[in-house]
Amino acid sequence: MNTKAIQESLIEVDKDCRTFRINREAYYSQEVFEMEKALIFDKCWLYLGHRSEIPNKGDFLTRTVMGRNLIFQHSRKGELVAFYNTCTHRGAAVCWDRKGNSKVHSCRYHGWVYDTEGKLKSMNTETGYPEDINADGHLDLPRVRVEEYGGLNFVNFNDNAISLYDFLGEQVRDLLDSINAQSAEEMIILPGEHAYSINANYKFLIENSADGYHLGPVHQTYLEFLADKYSGTKESGVFAKMANFQEKGGAYAMGNGHFLLSSNVPTGRPVGYWIEEWGPDIKKEIGANRQRLTDQLGQERADYICDMQKNSVIFPNLVINDILALTIRVIEPVSPIAMKVNAWCLAPKEESDELKEIRLDNFVSFLGPSGFGSPDDGSMLNSAQKSITACPTEWTELSKGMQGVDDLRVASGMTDDETHMQGYWTQWDMLMRGAVSLEQQI
Amino acid sequence: MSQNHMITRQEAEDFLYYEAELLDDWRLLEWKELYTDDSSYEVASTDCEDPFNADPARSLFVLADKKSRIDARAVRLMKRAAHCEYPHSKTRHLYTNVRIAGTRGKETRVRANVVVYRTGNDKTTNFMGEMRYVLVREGTDIRIKSKRIALDLNSLNDAGQMTIII
Ligand code: FES
Ligand SMILES: [Fe+2]
Repeated sequence: MNTKAIQESLIEVDKDCRTFRINREAYYSQEVFEMEKALIFDKCWLYLGHRSEIPNKGDFLTRTVMGRNLIFQHSRKGELVAFYNTCTHRGAAVCWDRKGNSKVHSCRYHGWVYDTEGKLKSMNTETGYPEDINADGHLDLPRVRVEEYGGLNFVNFNDNAISLYDFLGEQVRDLLDSINAQSAEEMIILPGEHAYSINANYKFLIENSADGYHLGPVHQTYLEFLADKYSGTKESGVFAKMANFQEKGGAYAMGNGHFLLSSNVPTGRPVGYWIEEWGPDIKKEIGANRQRLTDQLGQERADYICDMQKNSVIFPNLVINDILALTIRVIEPVSPIAMKVNAWCLAPKEESDELKEIRLDNFVSFLGPSGFGSPDDGSMLNSAQKSITACPTEWTELSKGMQGVDDLRVASGMTDDETHMQGYWTQWDMLMRGAVSLEQQI
Repeated sequence: MSQNHMITRQEAEDFLYYEAELLDDWRLLEWKELYTDDSSYEVASTDCEDPFNADPARSLFVLADKKSRIDARAVRLMKRAAHCEYPHSKTRHLYTNVRIAGTRGKETRVRANVVVYRTGNDKTTNFMGEMRYVLVREGTDIRIKSKRIALDLNSLNDAGQMTIII
């Protein structure tokens, strides 16, 4: 907890020469990792879960955030809360289920009972304790701060942290608004989870998750798959449009280390970008949704929501891919050289079964542990991790699209630039050096 | 009448062993020919509570291919540019406990257990679970109409990703 900020920066920025370099120790050093945990993960808002996963009072799910076993609970008062899943008596987990609904959590060890607010209700005995032993509430389940934006719930292990609202900032809130607007009712998480791992530093996947530069080389077989699939159909012409990939959109640092790749890859988008393969009924449904968005938000905003593919990173470890499917991906570092990944599919509640099927099929066609895309990304990261550790090359060159602006955390570049990642790394570096605070100023 | 279509346990076993052989030998272009035109190949999510009744059109699967993507998967994995399987992993598919679970019309339902050992780079991992097939006889051949796998895993954390065919 008292890990001191480092004095020396692990990034080397030369605004005149337009270079941005990262000392490769940042990808493998145990010492750096310990500091990241204390100076970044214990200070930032971290994704916990979606409101739609616990819609009713009493609903709960257990989830691990940075190795901490938490209960994400819809309390009987109607609040979304979180507490540590450990009995204040002698430490056993009070909830052993992945999810469920219950009025209380009863510890299996000696039978202490907690309500859905985490309050200790019974110690399962009449004797041996002073009556007012929990007068100060120290035997209630320890609460973790939870805040929500647009259905996404985050925790913060620093009670003095700035609000989630301020942490996300205007640009991320706008992005999340563009996602929630996709439903006339509400966005929900569909059943089913991807849970897998990659033997690499988590930041390798952060960079990769919104990297427009790697599309051609890494995903060549995926692009060939699409070309084959659509050859002879009207969609084959769509791939000629791949040239437009760089004409619209860009790589945007969104402040506070968050970043976005917005692009125009023509895969079709269930929200509002129809392709012929999906048939006339789906065309009608997608067209209606697009019309609703245009009526409500205007043409420009509707086009942005419907047409643009958005790969975004919410600092430090949440990825939202609003592409051919809409995915929430949490990247949890488990060591300097290993990460766990969990991903879910987000969809409008009112979507037809047919379009939902397309959405889910799109998801697994490219993403996840057996998709035609993500595993190839994973092998790049594995490969990089192995190669950099014992090599005299000290620096990673992340200079593409480097702008000479003052604050790289709000710079923007072309779709295949690294400008947006420079924003992430700049925030990372400032937090590691204590050069920026995410705490409320008193 | 259905007698002609019935597939015996021994036939099913021989057939499954052949599929395993094609996979271990990375003869994927032959492997994909085992599947009928309306076939599916699916692996349920590791958090799925009812993996043999869940619907990939309603919930997220690890993998849910219809025939066109079964073909595409085979073709893709044989390419040098399929980085996650370049070079190809060494695999050993053990298909065991094969039994006939029922027949209906031309379809024979088969259940089997599976363990796959996979070595990629210097790391070896296992996939284990239950497989349920619907097999059909087409002419003199047996072919797969559907194959669904429920892994006995709570996540793929030990395996990393699932880049091979189970
Ligand atoms: S550890 Fe929970 S009641 Fe004793
Ligand atoms: Fe990728």
